[in-house]
Amino acid sequence: MKLLKPTWVNHNGKPIFSVDIHPDGTKFATGGQGQDSGKVVIWNMSPVLQEDDEKDENVPKMLCQMDNHLACVNCVRWSNGGMYLASGGDDKLIMVWKRATYIGPSTVFGSGGKLANVEQWRCVSILRSHSGDVMDVAWSPHDAWLASCSVDNTVVIWNAVKFPEILATLRGHSGLVKGLTWDPVGKYIASQADDRSLKVWRTLDWQLETSITKPFDECGGTTHVLRLSWSPDGHYLVSAHAMNNSGPTAQIIEREGWKTNMDFVGHRKAVTVVKFNPKIFKKKQKNGSSAKPSCPYCCCAVGSKDRSLSVWLTCLKRPLVVIHELFDKSIMDISWTLNGLGILVCSMDGSVAFLDFSQDELGDPLSEEEKSRIHQSTYGKSLAIMTEAQLSTAVIENPEMLQYQRRQQQLDRQGPAARDTGSASSVAGVVNGESLEDIRKNLLKKQVETRTADGRRRITPLCIAQLDTGDFSTAFFNSIPLSGSLAGPMLSSHSGPQLLPLDPGMPIPFSSSKPSTEPAAGTRPVGDAASKDGVNTATAPTTPSPSVLTTPSKIEPMKAFDSRFTERSKATPGTPALASTTPTATERLREQSLVKELRPRDVLESSSDSDEKAPAAKPSSLPKRKLELEGEAVEKKKKGRPRKDARLLPMSLSMQSPAALTAEKDTVCVSVPAPLKLPMPGPQRAFTLQVSSDPSMYIEVENEVTAGGGLKLSRLKCSREGKEWETVLPGRILTAAGSGDVVCVACEKRMLSVFSACGRRLLPPILLPSPISTLHCTGPYVMALTAAATLSVWDVHRQEVVVKEESLHSILAGSNMTVSQVLLTQHGIPVMNLSDGKAYCFSPSLSAWNLVSDKQDSLAQCADFRSSLPPQDAMLCSGPLAIVQGRASTSGRQAARLFSVPHVVQQETTLAYLESQVAAALTLRSSHEYRHWLLLYARYLVNEGFEYRLREICKDLLGPVHTSTGSQWESTVVGLRKRDLLKELLPVIGQNLRFQRLFTECQEQLDLLRDK
Amino acid sequence: MAKVSVLNVAVLENPSPFHSPFRFEISFECNEALADDLEWKIIYVGSAESEEFDQILDSVLVGPVPAGRHMFVFQADAPNPSLIPETDAVGVTVVLITCTYHGQEFIRVGYYVNNEYLSPELRENPPLKPDFSQLQRNILASNPRVTRFHINWDNNMDRLEARENQDSSLGCGLPLSCTPIKGLGLPSCIPGLLPENSMDCI
Repeated sequence: MKLLKPTWVNHNGKPIFSVDIHPDGTKFATGGQGQDSGKVVIWNMSPVLQEDDEKDENVPKMLCQMDNHLACVNCVRWSNGGMYLASGGDDKLIMVWKRATYIGPSTVFGSGGKLANVEQWRCVSILRSHSGDVMDVAWSPHDAWLASCSVDNTVVIWNAVKFPEILATLRGHSGLVKGLTWDPVGKYIASQADDRSLKVWRTLDWQLETSITKPFDECGGTTHVLRLSWSPDGHYLVSAHAMNNSGPTAQIIEREGWKTNMDFVGHRKAVTVVKFNPKIFKKKQKNGSSAKPSCPYCCCAVGSKDRSLSVWLTCLKRPLVVIHELFDKSIMDISWTLNGLGILVCSMDGSVAFLDFSQDELGDPLSEEEKSRIHQSTYGKSLAIMTEAQLSTAVIENPEMLQYQRRQQQLDRQGPAARDTGSASSVAGVVNGESLEDIRKNLLKKQVETRTADGRRRITPLCIAQLDTGDFSTAFFNSIPLSGSLAGPMLSSHSGPQLLPLDPGMPIPFSSSKPSTEPAAGTRPVGDAASKDGVNTATAPTTPSPSVLTTPSKIEPMKAFDSRFTERSKATPGTPALASTTPTATERLREQSLVKELRPRDVLESSSDSDEKAPAAKPSSLPKRKLELEGEAVEKKKKGRPRKDARLLPMSLSMQSPAALTAEKDTVCVSVPAPLKLPMPGPQRAFTLQVSSDPSMYIEVENEVTAGGGLKLSRLKCSREGKEWETVLPGRILTAAGSGDVVCVACEKRMLSVFSACGRRLLPPILLPSPISTLHCTGPYVMALTAAATLSVWDVHRQEVVVKEESLHSILAGSNMTVSQVLLTQHGIPVMNLSDGKAYCFSPSLSAWNLVSDKQDSLAQCADFRSSLPPQDAMLCSGPLAIVQGRASTSGRQAARLFSVPHVVQQETTLAYLESQVAAALTLRSSHEYRHWLLLYARYLVNEGFEYRLREICKDLLGPVHTSTGSQWESTVVGLRKRDLLKELLPVIGQNLRFQRLFTECQEQLDLLRDK
Repeated sequence: MAKVSVLNVAVLENPSPFHSPFRFEISFECNEALADDLEWKIIYVGSAESEEFDQILDSVLVGPVPAGRHMFVFQADAPNPSLIPETDAVGVTVVLITCTYHGQEFIRVGYYVNNEYLSPELRENPPLKPDFSQLQRNILASNPRVTRFHINWDNNMDRLEARENQDSSLGCGLPLSCTPIKGLGLPSCIPGLLPENSMDCI
């Protein structure tokens, strides 16, 4: 062991209260008293480590000093990632510092030019909450949280990704809180206070787990700090100042049951600070000795008011070393180097000592993998993700990789400057193309000088650089409001209509989802009500179905924007409830309740969602009009159009129920005994349907137009950006749908007619196997969902079938499920959203139904891939998958679960979730989303270090380098060139040095291919 | 914490004749946008003995100040010779640049100024009544003395007591005999090296 006291590390003789070594080991920070303020100094580590550097005048010793704290700084702590430094002081503030990249070295003005601030660290956040001196701060593993404790008796947990948000204030201590430590696996945080207690808090709910008081009962007097520490394996928590038999100790608290049976004894005065070595060690294997595997152990340094330092190994009963008289005053803080062999100690006397151990003395440190294995075996979770610091020690084997890394670093460096719209100067100091020198020459002439009202001179200073502060890239992480605001307009504008609940219990994004059994039960009374009088809903407007189910086919937002108005204005007297078809769901609910109040009899028509109101809505007397209409319905029934049994279909089918009942009564035409029936649109005199708002396109249908001679025809009118066309059809039109390419209508007698965008008939009428339920168009694709729950999709341009009379039996089987939403992608893939929250698409190539979304999917809820999200676009990925799955605020849930799910489980679920997303996007042939999820998945694999899967992906994307005839490899996937995707992946892979071999391989082969 | 820190003050056109204006190029950095203007002043110390002879050469408002680095040139007319005691016209005196925010001074930059005759004859035999037109003003630009004060930058916070920097005694009462010393702040780092205390492991 070597001991060194670098005298140049000082605060001009003022006390140094805290020391912390940067995770990359190149610098360390000290905090303490400055001249008349608090002081934080960042020092270069290499002059401490190497004598040559210490003697070399060109090697800077002090890198930066910050005098911004108004009063003494009690604690400085680097974030685990090394990006930030947090300092807390007697001014009640916590300041978070970040290195400014755009400014080069500078001097502190007036300091004679000697104290160059080699690095610029600037305060990016000031955290104000404590009402007293801040005594200790601590970053959680992963840097998700920052904890601070204060003499105001509280511990505050700050959201480290969203300063200055406070996540929790832990109250419970009745004395000054003087020390904090996080459990290395992130489950707990412990605090020690002057109230003679040590408290352990859960991070899950920020509640008290336990309060330990016994070892502190005898504690008298006070120490300035009580810095406790948790062992890196998580097994032991060691307190500062405790007493045993009137001797000062450091109490060892076992995680298992919070037992307090052991302590570190020997110091003559109170223990102020305990710090565990970040490494776990195992015995050095000596040549010749039996290689029996020894138990791994931890190493702990204890500093005391008695000015001595002791270093302990948990496998030894006595201290490894005790150094007396190291300082003139109490030891205040200890920090280990990340490699576990060095230790910096600071003292109230204003000096710092460095101790250098050898591996022979401490043992062999376990690798991070071994350490994480210990965590995993003990807690089923590990936080040991390869850190940047370790990566930087890895050897870069490939020049490409090196270049890439350099480029990245350059980008990182240029990034902030470049972002600042050019006015921010980089080190060279160029403002708008002018060098700083030029500016200075003309500054006096150029600067704007005005006179204030009272005649004083006022100069507008010239801004020569903006600050690159505040770039905690939290923009995405605030995804809860963000996605809400995104999803809001999007859903309301275009998918709003399609999400109209045919089944009120269907979970829709706007209303809290209810268990699906509830609505099923709830709808029963409606059916009963209907069956009792069998008349009241004869006016069933039926327009909901066409409009609901046809408009949403397009993915572009705003499509169905104002169809609501057009529909309302065009509504004929026979369709009273039309108004409720297209407004956004929230508006709609409101409107419905209005409708209910005003016209209770129409309650059922508007697919009311509150079951208790349904019976009340039973009309006591029937308006004449309704009777007539009912008669009409019955008449139609007699014409032999099969009606379906409504009972299988809850609420949504209430409008059909009278017809169904009459059908039962008449027992005329229960022609299709299929157990599955879907709602059918009833006949209407006229209706209008907006296909899109941009370009404005709508379809008008007028039935029973008297054409003279007793002939009745139906007229179909289509208007598109002012151009109109008209055509007539013989039968009544039940429903219509349109896209930019085609317009199709379903008529009575199961006829489906398709017209081109200009009104030319494209096909002779198609005879559907059973009456139409839903008609839908996207591009050249026409989808018909029949009442007998069969689905067909045709490509009318190619005149080919895409999906042939596929039954929905398999997906609607059992229970009271209905189709709540249908979607036809631009590639002609039909997607059925069901009332139970599941969504299936039919893959024509597989000829099978694929589950693409499940609202109750626990994977989605446990998956946490925030770290892999790209900083910018993130949630902006839209497409069929996004529409089908809705935009539930999963990230919020993820955030909440960050530490509550064991890491392994979380990894697995995240992988599974991401994989299913990639597969679903692929099946939906949504290239944009496929790319998005694939990149996300790859990024996650890279971050978490899953090599095999990553390799498999790369292999598939790369394909055979040498063309072979036997190869089955497709060069494209959903319209994307696989090798282009791989090129996009490479930078992602390059981020983890662990994968440099893979990176090299792919890079080389791509180059090879390019050269060919 | 101070929202504004002065990065540099460059003394322009130095040395210069006594009657030419003072010009300082001031660059400063601001952490948060300021609600109000900064007020800068140049104070010429006429006599070391008494504040009575201090002349405020000029005061200027500077704003608006968004976060970032800024610079401007502060120009002020030469002091009025008639207000300077004749005995103090030649020799070393002090010019101060101060900045206040909301009326609170948070930084004071002081420079020694040496006024002397250019011609050797006048230097040898200075006239009884100083001839200001022959005087050359030389500001010792390399040795600014900077004193910072803590002030309350926010209106809502309790007003903090402005405490003067302890080790810097530069001010109006600066003794003229005082020769420029090394700058304020930490003493330069002496790369002292302790003999390594090697200890055997127990």
